[in-house]
Amino acid sequence: MSSDVVTVSLRAPLAEPLHVEGLTADRVAGLSECEIASLPAWEGTRKARLGDFFDIKGERLDRVRVVGDLKNVHGVAAGMAGGELLIDGDAGRGVAQAMTGGLVVVGGDVGVDAARGMIAGTLVVGGRTGDQPGRGSKRGSIVALGGIEVPVTYWYACTYEPPYVRLLLMYLRKRYGLAIDDRMITGRYRRHCGDAGNPDRGEILEWESSSSGDVARQ
Amino acid sequence: MNIRGVFIEDTFAEGFSMAAARVVITAASSKWSRAAALKLTGFATSIIACKCEAAIERELTPDETPDGRPGVSALLFAMNAEGVKRRLVERISPTVLTCPTTSCFDGLPDATERVLVGRALAAFGDKFQSSTVVGGQRYWRVPVMEGEFLLQESFGVQGKAVGGGNFLILAEDAPSALAAAEAAVEAIDGMSGMPGVILPFPGGVVRSGSKVGSRGYKSMVASTNDAYCPTLRLSTGSALVEGVNAVLEIVIDGLDANAISRAMRAGIQAACRPGVRTITAGNYGGGLGKHHFHLREIMGGD
Repeated sequence: MSSDVVTVSLRAPLAEPLHVEGLTADRVAGLSECEIASLPAWEGTRKARLGDFFDIKGERLDRVRVVGDLKNVHGVAAGMAGGELLIDGDAGRGVAQAMTGGLVVVGGDVGVDAARGMIAGTLVVGGRTGDQPGRGSKRGSIVALGGIEVPVTYWYACTYEPPYVRLLLMYLRKRYGLAIDDRMITGRYRRHCGDAGNPDRGEILEWESSSSGDVARQ
Repeated sequence: MNIRGVFIEDTFAEGFSMAAARVVITAASSKWSRAAALKLTGFATSIIACKCEAAIERELTPDETPDGRPGVSALLFAMNAEGVKRRLVERISPTVLTCPTTSCFDGLPDATERVLVGRALAAFGDKFQSSTVVGGQRYWRVPVMEGEFLLQESFGVQGKAVGGGNFLILAEDAPSALAAAEAAVEAIDGMSGMPGVILPFPGGVVRSGSKVGSRGYKSMVASTNDAYCPTLRLSTGSALVEGVNAVLEIVIDGLDANAISRAMRAGIQAACRPGVRTITAGNYGGGLGKHHFHLREIMGGD
């Protein structure tokens, strides 16, 4: 793992839902290890600290890698304004919600409301994308590699090979060593534009093979 | 100094400080990346007439390019960073943007001096364009009829580039001069790694070397190098001896002086072949350009 990445590792699987605040690459970039561990987290109604559940390694970097099963962790990368945040496995609700910039990559599935209210930036989902992705988004991109139910408020534009996705996936493979299938890099994507009321600016790029049932997981 | 019977004159090539960019063009196949690069670097032999000097540096394999597709790297030289920017903006749009399947990237990522090119070109997208950041670099996505054109925002500029490296091949006849020049170009093109040089003239060879100014026309900034024209051997202060009946020149621009020295060494070595009498170089007495490439030093002699 690169030494220029802040690693946030979940110590043990969570029985209860945990909602995190401020776990974004741009916020972490200005914080020490201790300050990162002090970011607020909510276990139900009980206020806690990120460090109560996660080990933090590294500080003051705008590249963050979150390790562990985060299916029960909600709000990761919400409001993120820049930098890069990778989640190796699944993630819970509201990933990259109201994001305004940067890159969020989730290797596994994401829960509902991913990239809700997104203003700019990119969310890449290697697994299945939960319901209502990109709802209310103004701009920004969701790259869905493992299947997605596109909201009815997005309109299908075309099927093509986006050079941007090729560049992005090649970058992720080289920079982070992610095992990205060649078919995703060279493949075709269905472009859906939305969200309603502000069409053409937000987009969902759906890997064509994922929509035909050929779902690829890393 | 002699190399395989060819006399290496004790003189030097005089090079000038320039600024340069490396443009990486990728496409669905090398056919299309090359097609775009040829247009991008067209009409760019001499900065006097063309405002810049440019040519293909070499072809790139998919594992050498940012997006994993076959590509071409081209170098473009101008007098300063602003000149590089202007030429990139005016050239990339009609040549690379228009070419099917291409994307366009900066090839000098470590250069600290940078010029912003993408935003101006992306305006072709008529406000349908969008930008995105990958790996800390901004890229523009411009909608086109085929799909999208992807273009990097900023390009690195090598401010210590050098133009005007050269050597002249003095031969017994025109076919010998041409064969030697072709051998020199092939040797320079075959240099391993990223050579960091281009040969901006047609096929890498110049037949019309020039001198500064003109004896007959005040308005001309350059005119034929009469001292090396065999037909004028008895009509002017000729540099040619009897038996030299054709001269060709290799002009080399490089990202730095070392790159030019390496290319001159490879080229001169290859040009020393039957029918060639002398290898010399063009200079202006050393007062105009700060880079002096002494032939005998380059070839490992005195």
